[in-house]
Order: sequence, then C-alpha cells, then structure tokens
Amino acid sequence: MKLFNFLVSFLCIIPNAFCAAADSNKFERYRSLSRSAPIELTDSSYEDITSKPRDYHVAVLLTAADARYGCILCREFQPEWELIARSWNKGSKPDGLQMLFATLDFSDGKGTFQKLMLQTAPVLLVFPPTVGPFAKVDDTPLRFDFSGPISADQLYTWINRHLPEGPKPPLVRPINYMRLISAVTILMGAVTLFTVLSPYVLPIIRNRNLWAAFSLIAILLFTSGHMFNHIRKVPYVAGDGRGGISYFAGGFSNQFGMETQIVAAIYAVLSFATIALAMKVPRIADNKAQQVAVIIWGSVLLGMYSFLLNVFKTKNGGYPFFLPPF
Amino acid sequence: MAESPLDVLLKGNSGRTTRGLLRFIILATIAAAAVSSRLFSVIRFESIIHEFDPWFNFRATKYLVQHGFESFWDWFDDRTWHPLGRVTGGTLYPGLMVTSGVIYHVLRFLTIPVDIRNICVLLAPGFSGLTALAMYFLTCEMTTSPSAGLLAAAFMGIVPGYISRSVAGSYDNEAIAIFLLVFTFFLWIKAVKNGSIMWGALAALFYGYMVSAWGGYVFITNLIPLHVFVLLCMGRYSSRIYISYTTWYALGTLASMQIPFVGFLPIRNSDHMSALGVFGLIQLVAFADFVRGFIPGKHFQRLLTTMIIVVFGVAFVGLVVLTVSGVIAPWSGRFYSLWDTGYAKIHIPIIASVSEHQPTAWPAFFFDLNFLIWLFPAGVYMCFRDLKDEHVFVIIYSVLASYFAGVMVRLMLTLTPIVCVAAALALSTILDTYVFATNGPNPRAKANEDTSSEGLRSARKPDVGITSYFSKTVMTSSVVVYLLLFVAHCTWVTSNAYSSPSVVLASRMPDGSQHIIDDYREAYYWLRQNTAHNAKIMSWWDYGYQIGGMADRPTLVDNNTWNNTHIATVGKAMSSREEVSYPILRQHDVDYVLVVFGGLLGYSGDDINKFLWMVRIAEGIWPDEVKERDFFTARGEYRVDDGATPTMRNSLMYKMSYHNFNSMFQPGQAVDRVRGSRLPAEGPQLSTLEEAFTSENWIIRIYKVKDLDNLGRDHNTAVAFDKGNKRKRATKRKGPRVLRTE
Repeated sequence: MKLFNFLVSFLCIIPNAFCAAADSNKFERYRSLSRSAPIELTDSSYEDITSKPRDYHVAVLLTAADARYGCILCREFQPEWELIARSWNKGSKPDGLQMLFATLDFSDGKGTFQKLMLQTAPVLLVFPPTVGPFAKVDDTPLRFDFSGPISADQLYTWINRHLPEGPKPPLVRPINYMRLISAVTILMGAVTLFTVLSPYVLPIIRNRNLWAAFSLIAILLFTSGHMFNHIRKVPYVAGDGRGGISYFAGGFSNQFGMETQIVAAIYAVLSFATIALAMKVPRIADNKAQQVAVIIWGSVLLGMYSFLLNVFKTKNGGYPFFLPPF
Repeated sequence: MAESPLDVLLKGNSGRTTRGLLRFIILATIAAAAVSSRLFSVIRFESIIHEFDPWFNFRATKYLVQHGFESFWDWFDDRTWHPLGRVTGGTLYPGLMVTSGVIYHVLRFLTIPVDIRNICVLLAPGFSGLTALAMYFLTCEMTTSPSAGLLAAAFMGIVPGYISRSVAGSYDNEAIAIFLLVFTFFLWIKAVKNGSIMWGALAALFYGYMVSAWGGYVFITNLIPLHVFVLLCMGRYSSRIYISYTTWYALGTLASMQIPFVGFLPIRNSDHMSALGVFGLIQLVAFADFVRGFIPGKHFQRLLTTMIIVVFGVAFVGLVVLTVSGVIAPWSGRFYSLWDTGYAKIHIPIIASVSEHQPTAWPAFFFDLNFLIWLFPAGVYMCFRDLKDEHVFVIIYSVLASYFAGVMVRLMLTLTPIVCVAAALALSTILDTYVFATNGPNPRAKANEDTSSEGLRSARKPDVGITSYFSKTVMTSSVVVYLLLFVAHCTWVTSNAYSSPSVVLASRMPDGSQHIIDDYREAYYWLRQNTAHNAKIMSWWDYGYQIGGMADRPTLVDNNTWNNTHIATVGKAMSSREEVSYPILRQHDVDYVLVVFGGLLGYSGDDINKFLWMVRIAEGIWPDEVKERDFFTARGEYRVDDGATPTMRNSLMYKMSYHNFNSMFQPGQAVDRVRGSRLPAEGPQLSTLEEAFTSENWIIRIYKVKDLDNLGRDHNTAVAFDKGNKRKRATKRKGPRVLRTE
C-alpha cells in the first residue's frame, strides 16, 4: 500500500517536474522568436504554444490580414495589435507573470480555423496557464469577439481584466515624430508662403465671391444630410433588385450618398434661380431679354420645386402636396 | 399725377401712422396664427402635458407654486433616484418654472383664477407669439426693406421646425428658450450697430435669462465671441464692438453665474473659454489701436508682430497648463460629441441612445422647413451684398447652425430662426422687385446699392427694375402659390406629426372614427391608487419623469440622466437572469417593476426595442456580466422568437414582456406584432416577480417583486411546489443558485 502510494506520488511528480522544466523552455523559446512584435504562428506551432501544460498566458489573435480575404477589420486592427504586444513586451511586468502575444493568420492556419469552427475573423483567444502560480482550474480559453472597429486601449483593458491582479505595463503609443516634424514643417512653410505671397493672396482671401461660394457650399452640404452620410456611413447607391440602380432610399430616415448629392443639386438650382430673379434680372437693361429671363428662371424654379416635392413624396408616403409638372 | 385716396393714406405723415398701425395689426395676426396653429393637441385630446421631460417641469412648477421660491431653490427631491435622491434645486434650469410661477401669481393678483396646469400647457404657444415678434425686430435690423421683418415673423410663427418643440402641452425648456435666443441676438445686433452700453447690458440681461432657461445657452456663448472674432479678423475693429462686447461679456458672465447649476462653469469649462479668449483679445486690439495713435507706423508694425506672437504663446501655454492641471475642465461630453461625431457612441452610450441626438437625414430638413430650405442659401448670398457687421453675424450663424442641425436632430431648433431670417431676406427682395406697380427700379429696394468693385459679381450693374407687367404678374403669382403651399405644408405637418401628446395615443378604427389608446395614464393611475405612497417603481429611465409626475411614486432612475452607474444598474437588472436580478431589486428596495410592451398592439417604441441600449449601458459598467454579443444569435440577429439566444430568453426584460402572452392566442399562435415574429410555444416562467397589473392594450405591464419566501425556500422551488411538481431533493440541487440576500 505504501509502495503504491509512493509510486503514485512519484508518477505524479515526475511529469510535473519534467513539464515545468519544459514549460519554461517553451516560454523562453517563443519569447526569443520575437522580442517585441507578436509571434507569427502556423497550425503546428499554434498546437504547440497552446498545448497543456503551460505556465504562461498566451493571447492569440486569429485573423485574416491578407488582402484577398477582404477583412477590413483585420487589417485595421493589425497595427493596434502589434502596439499591444510591443507595449507589453517592452514594459516592466510583475514577477512571474508570463504572457505571450501571437498571431495566427488564416493563410497559415486553415486547419485551426476549421477545428475551432470559426466563421468570422478576427477573434482573440486568451489561454490561461494550467500550471504555475497563476494557473486556473478552468483552462478553456477566453474569447473576445470583435463586433466592430476597436482601439488598442479597449482591447488592452479587456485583456488586463482577465489577467491576475497587479501592476501591468501601460499601453504606450509611440510618438509619431515623422508626423510632428512634417506638421511643423508644413506650418512654417505655410507661414513663409503666406508672407511671400501675401500681396497676391490677400485679394483672393478678401474676395467676397469666394467666401460666398464657400458658405453656400457648406450650407448646401449640411442641409442636404451630408453629416448623416458621414456618421452612418451609408452606401453611395444601391441596386433595386432588378439590375437597375435605385437613387432614392426608401423611408423617411434613410438616404444614400448619391441621393443627398442630387438633393443638394436641387437646392442649389432653386437657390440660384432665386438669386437670379432677385438680383440679376432687375439689372438686365434690355426689355425683351429681361422678359425671357424671368420666364426661364421662373419655370426652372417651378419645375425644380415640383420635382423636389415629388422626390419628397416618394420618401414620405402620406405627403399630400404636389405642384403641376411632376 | 393725381392723388388717389390710397396715396393720401400711405404717403407723408399720416401714411407713417397708417403703416405703423397696419404693421401692428399684421404682427398681432401673425402672433394669433402662431398660437392657434399650436392648439391642435388641446382640441383633439385635452389640456395635457406631453411626452417625458415636460412632466418633470410640470412637477417642479407645482412644487414652486406650492412651496414658494426659497424652498424651490433648496429643493432636495428624495422621490427620484432612490436611494440617492437628487439635489433638484441646484441641478435644473429654473427659468421655465419661475416664468410660469410669475405668470400664475400675476393672474392670481388680477383675480383671474387659473389652474397652474393650464398655464404650463399654454406657455409654449404664448411664447411662440413673442418669438414671432422678436423675429420681426431681428430681421428689421438686417435690411431696410419693411416686408422682410413681417415675412420672417410669419415664417417663424408657423414653421414646423419650431412648432415641433412648442405645441400646447410640450412644456419644455425650449418653449421659452427660442424666444430668448432670438431676442438676445436682436439685442446683440442692436448693441453692435449702436455701440451702446444700454443695448449691451440688455443683451446680457436676456442672456442671463436664457442661461437660466436652457442648456443650449452655450450656443450664444460661443456664437457672439465668434462674431466678434471674425469681425476683428476682417479688420473691422471699432469702439462700437469694444463697448458692446465687453459690456455683454462682463455682465452676461456675472448673470449666468447666478444660476446654481451653472455656477463657476463660465470660468472653468472649455465650452466657455472662447468667450473669455475673445474678451482678452479685444482688450489687446483696443490697446494696439490706442497705441497706434502715438507711435510711427514702422515701429508700430514691429511692436504689433512681437505682441501677437508673445500673447499667443503665453495664452496657449497657459491654457495647456491649466487644462492639464485640471483647473479648466475639458470639453463637456455633449458638446464634444458635436465635433467628433464618433465620440458619443464609444464613450457615452447614454447620449448616443437618445433618439433626438441622431444625425439628420435630408427629408427631415425639408419636412421641418419646407421651401425655406432653398430660400435660405439665397438669403445668405444676399447678405454678402452689403456685408455689414450684422450680415457677418447671419452668415456665421447660418453655416454653424447648419452643421449642428446636420449632426443632431434636436439642433434643428437653433437652425430654424436663422433660416427664417435668411429666407425672409431673399423673398422680400423678390417681392420688393416684382410687386412694385410702376415701371423702373423700386426706390426702397434701391436704397442699399453697393457699386464698389469689392461687391458681389451679381450686383455690379445698375438696377433698372422690372419693366413688363407680365413678368411681374408671373413672379408675384408664383410666389403667392409657394407661400400658400408653405402654409398648407406647415399646417399638415403640425397636425399630423407634432400634435400627438405621446402620453395618449390615437388610432383609427376601421370605420374611420378616432380611437384613443390611453394605457399610460391607466397604468400610472393604477399605481397611484393601488400602491403604497412610498412604493419604489423600477423602470427604464424614459418613464421616470412620467411615473414621478402622474403616478407620484418614487423611481430609481429618470430622464435626468445624471448618474450613469445607477442607470446601468437598472440596465443590468433588466438584462440579467432572475437569479442575478432579484438581489439587485431587493438591495434597491424595489416594490414594482414597470415595462412597456408593444407586441400586442404593434407599438414600436417599447422596451424590447430599447433593450439593446440597456444592455450596452450596463455593459459599459459590468463588461464581464452583461455582454451585448450574447443577445445576438450566432448570425448576428436580434430575435425574440424560437431562435432567441438563451441569455435573451432568460433576461428579466424578456420574461416580463412575454409573461403569459401565449394565453392571449391559440396554442402556438402567439405573434409579436412589433417584431413580426412568432413566439415560442411555451412562454417564459417568472418566479421572483408576479404580475400585478397589465393595461388594456398590454402597453404597460407592472410586476410586483415577491418578498422572501416564508419557508426560506428559493423562489424557483416555491413556484415549482405551488405548481405541484415534486420537490427535488436538497442534496441534488446544483448550480450557483443563491437567492437569499440577507
């Protein structure tokens, strides 16, 4: 009986001791592969790095950064991910907390994607250690699903929340010296240019027509719903399901990019007709020409306004008003 | 030329009085039209307070009238935000309540007995008449044409963009704030034109009133300095600007600091820093202007350049240091989200969740402004013709407000006044040109000719007027048609879109008669009649003010979203399993839970549709316990039928919404009319709550939170026992079901 107990405990100790030794080797091995950037994995190394027992945390980003997969989110997130890995690897870590950052791209790890039954990318898996001081009983990896564009800070707080308590290296965004220098250069260039060219530029800056044009364009842009396009990121046009193009989105609070441009153009034509009627026509000296101008601009006004009401009616079904031609 | 009787009436001295009288009558008619077009809801429904926020304002007004001004100022309200309470007196804009309180006491003094509710209901229409008047004054400052002011007043009176926030019953801050906004701008223009301390001080006085009435005062705080700054950049410094701006800034800032809610913000918050900066700048410019009189030109140039560089450097460094050290608060979230449009969605979901903070699609602009929207750019263009100081103001206001209105639907309200001004300028130019009966240029329209080379391209040739009567007839009649169409449009929009109290819903019966759905008041009245005076009601924050106002019961959260964590707590209770929610409910002394459910009637503004916001806000505080992803199926759909995720089906909100819903239908036929989906054959089981009340159309459902079980069992077991299921062995019980909290 005693012998049996001894055997059992011996059998237990040996693999543990052995594995622990192997583990630290494994950690060092992978650590040396890449000093700061995330480790590039393949199917086999993914198996190896996540195999039990492990005495380190490992965060694997399963992604598809290659252009042919068309995963914009993956490509956008790639630099952020590298930033996290670099910040961690360069920062000072609490004692004994070992963590690896790795990336498995779809082109290198199709098998893993199939095995995990992943339909989407990117996905982040964080494997807790199975041995060592921070080992967790439940060794299933934590999974982070990307529901939209996310910054490194947000993901980093998520990772930190699932690591053991203690100080963590802060996320350090490298200062973009290139950008700083170029900004200063451009600013100085602009100042110099302005000083040199001021005799020629000032009349242009002081030109009333130019400012009028700017203001009107801005107003037309904003009142035709450009900010909605910008915030909601609406499509430019959409198909109507029969191979054609539908220029106007259905519904009162929907719109397409092109639709707003059409509407802005309508507003512009109407405003211009108003300006012409109010300011240009009374300055035409010739009687006949003036009469013709009034008729032309008046009918443009009527036609466009009628068209605008017609468009609005398609957007808002119950709208009861219309003007003749349309 | 023979003098007709009309000429006698309209020319010379008697003509002036006649015109004055006519103008007065027209303005009175416009004000009457403005008031009466806002009364649809009172006539159709009854004299009732609308929507959500007005219910709080109404409650606060009643408190003010009952307890007097002193105790209103120190009001601590323990019947909201249980158990925290709210320092109501110090966290509201008191202008609206004080205004109606004053009106109430004046009417009382005149021995006119009138209910405070009727004053509150009719305050907004009454002030819209004043707004039309203020609009007349403002527009008259912009042009010499006498018709522009009247047109602008008429536009302002009936334009839907303003009616949307000022129908009878919508007793909100905007009701008086738009009048104050327009009138402050009028006084400011007057001050700039005359360089008078009196007008500047009056502008400051009304600015102070505006600060006490609406958080949107920040718009004025930034627009006036911007106006001054642009004028300085254009090289238009004059003592008029110096006098009016310094007067306005000094007095206005002092006035605004008298409001407890604003307090020291004007000198510590970045929102207000531009006003302070421009105040400093104008002192320097004035000093430079003063020095120029004593120093020869070349030295002065050098001095000026050095001074500009030094001052900008010092100011910039100072601002950075003060911001970093925390003396100056950074931009407030709401204001910041106007510039960085993605900011709110990531950092402040509670702001992003409000529907009036969404961006504006183009149909909304046309819906609210009709043909003014295309007269607007034309009017702005005409401002460039003279480009006096006040025209610069119109241009800046136009560009800035169009941007804001594009970013947020509710800021359409600040855009509307300037659209009316600009459109009236454009239309009055047309009318002055074409309606004038004799040939040749209209002498009045010609008054402001600018033939300098700097002027607009389109105004360089001399004005000869319209020569043919045919042209005049065509244009006049088409403008009349457009105006009639505008009136028809405004009436239609007001009647159809903006006159619903939203507390009472109207629908049509098959025979065309009107059917009133009055579930909200039914349920609130039930609460008032059947629950203890101190019973705590938990609901999503949208309904907090209504419960406080109509049911007079304490609530956990309400529309004054000052404590995000508390709201997230409610969101967590709603979106978690019963086992998690019950302790939260017990800890917050909740007696009843109220949910809004539209599935039976097809009422789409219900809680299941708002549910994702509750989840998001809760996730912001407890990202580990509540996850938005869990409420979507694997294919990313938000479903309530058989395909709903387990998290969704176990959430308290889902269970409360669909509790017993099956019993209304044939077995397996239950259909949610909002989501248009068939529900699972077996409905959800509630064990910690019991149904207390469901309104006629099931829009409001109220649940009572069960007390702890008498026998010490958990609620699941107790319910199972009541149903006659065999009690499971205690030893076999598994899982972390810990219900008892004490």
